[in-house]
Amino acid sequence: MDWREGVRIAVRAIAGHRLRSALTIAGIVIGIATVVAFASFGASVQTDVVGEFQDTSASEVYVISGSGVFSGAGPPDGGGTLTAPVITTHDVDRIDRVEGVQAVIPRGTVPIASLAYGNETVSQVGLTATTPNALEDAMIEGRPFEMGTNEIVINEAAAGQFEENVTVGSTIEITRQEATSFTVVGITSGARGGLSGFGPAGPEFYVPVDPHYQTAQRSPSVGVDQRAYAQVTVVAEAGQVRGVNDRIGTYINTESDATRLAGENGNITVQSTEDVVGGIEDVLEDITRLVTGIGVLALLVGAFGIANIMLVSVTERTKEIGIMKSIGATNREILSLFISESALLGIAGAVIGIPLGLAVGYGGAVYADVGFAIPVDWVALALVMGIVIGVVAGVYPAWRAARVDPIEALRYE
Amino acid sequence: MTHKYLNFLNMLDGDGLWYYRTLIRLQLQELSMESATADDSIVRLTDVEKEYSLGGTVTALDGVGLSLSEGSYTAVMGPSGSGKSTLLNLIGALDTPTAGQVSIDGTDIAGLSETERAKVRGTMIGFVFQTFNLMPRLNARENVELPLVFAGWDTNRRTERAESLLDRVGLGNRMDHMPQELSGGQRQRVAIARALATDPAIVLADEPTGNVDTETGDEIMSLLADTHDRGNTILLVTHERRIAEHADSIVHVRDGRREDTEMIGGAR
Repeated sequence: MDWREGVRIAVRAIAGHRLRSALTIAGIVIGIATVVAFASFGASVQTDVVGEFQDTSASEVYVISGSGVFSGAGPPDGGGTLTAPVITTHDVDRIDRVEGVQAVIPRGTVPIASLAYGNETVSQVGLTATTPNALEDAMIEGRPFEMGTNEIVINEAAAGQFEENVTVGSTIEITRQEATSFTVVGITSGARGGLSGFGPAGPEFYVPVDPHYQTAQRSPSVGVDQRAYAQVTVVAEAGQVRGVNDRIGTYINTESDATRLAGENGNITVQSTEDVVGGIEDVLEDITRLVTGIGVLALLVGAFGIANIMLVSVTERTKEIGIMKSIGATNREILSLFISESALLGIAGAVIGIPLGLAVGYGGAVYADVGFAIPVDWVALALVMGIVIGVVAGVYPAWRAARVDPIEALRYE
Repeated sequence: MTHKYLNFLNMLDGDGLWYYRTLIRLQLQELSMESATADDSIVRLTDVEKEYSLGGTVTALDGVGLSLSEGSYTAVMGPSGSGKSTLLNLIGALDTPTAGQVSIDGTDIAGLSETERAKVRGTMIGFVFQTFNLMPRLNARENVELPLVFAGWDTNRRTERAESLLDRVGLGNRMDHMPQELSGGQRQRVAIARALATDPAIVLADEPTGNVDTETGDEIMSLLADTHDRGNTILLVTHERRIAEHADSIVHVRDGRREDTEMIGGAR
């Protein structure tokens, strides 16, 4: 028998029981949709976030007060409970002299009372204090600020949040204890050294640490009050990330002000971009594994559903089996007819489940504000799973069908 | 030995089939012991016994011999339980005898595997049932095509064959109708067309008028007569004398044994 005929007959049988077939494949649809949804969401996050890290900051090492990024505690940008400004200017100078270090970018938050442009005041809890080298490669317009001035660099989100767009040369009024005028000297796509997390950046205002960042600690090494940061980003020379990471780690653990200031309960984390990416990937992998497990359970349930309905179908169609045998169908042909039918149910489950899963994954990606990516390998795997489940679930019912005695079957009503 | 010829047979169809089958039958008769006595029998039963074990042993057929020559039209009559259904199942290659030989077109079906018997059913036998037994989800044309699907015909030739047969049985304008859209008589016509699809050596009709009214029954019997006139061998099983009289001869069966054979003189 031509296999296409077998498929045609199987399609007829399925189409003859639309509702029943639909309910039967629901389990497969749910299972495959779950797996595909999470695979596509995971792939989207991975492509977006991990890709961003790998493109722009492959050579960076972060020194962070607290437990670091994606290693169990706190958000990346200093909000963790253990985060404290303990990395002193002395530490920054020492790190700058570590072999293989190209630049050190300290970063701190300057709390403010209000921020106004023209007549418009916006809510902004703080400015980001950093050094000009954080901005050098990321200017869209204008130039980085200079140290020791009231110059300010803003990102695009900040420029666009006022009714009248802020441009280079505009003046922004910022009040801390007293009002100070800042001159906008540049617009940036985002300063280096920020662990931005998911999605697009909010409004950011960058000012030079000198004189605006005033959080200070008494340095145990030199015995004077110095600016102290919660986070410092180190740019390593090409190919040196691993070595720089290790050397800074050694310095931090042995001689640094940071460790001494952090005390017994404190913790200073030295992490390279690779570590961060690895951390994100680990988390994503764990989630994917968990959800895949749930999906596989749903598929298993779906497989039993198909097997069950196929057994019912074999019983119902005993007479048809008898007829087909009387007009020349071999046992093998009956077997392949029923397996085709069962496989088609599995394929139908995959064909419905895959776009459904992709749609949910797309929804998730839009919600999390990451670019959508289709996990081609998972989609292919889902299709294969659908076929395999259909075939496996159909084997026993089809075997029963093939063994039907034609004489009994023809007598069957 | 026989199996090889059968496989060869399966590759053939249509007009060439009869010629090759005849050729092969002649060769088989030369080769096989039981066919040493060459005759023109298309079906030959020799001392056939059939026992079932239903609690005890039930003997359905007890030493039955029967020979149907090519182009004959024979009726088997007997009350229910006489063994006529068993006889039909054996000739139809649905079952194998406990003892004796059942040879169809020179092939002893007792020696065949299940698959080979399926192929015998598909190419050498055409069934017409009391309850029509059409596939409910296939339309008339597809029902007639189905044996050809299992016999491996290609689509175009299948359709052509099915349409010409449906035309012949007077359903040329009902080809796309589903069985449930057809009357009992029309369904039985589709069933007859289906039985003829592979140009079988013998058509087995099991109470073909049992589920239709008298008038429709007459139409079906005249269609079978027409089929016989075209050269087909027909075995009709019935318990109705009026129906059996359409055949050339009536074989009476009772309690698993063959009784007298009655020739219907001058009848068609």
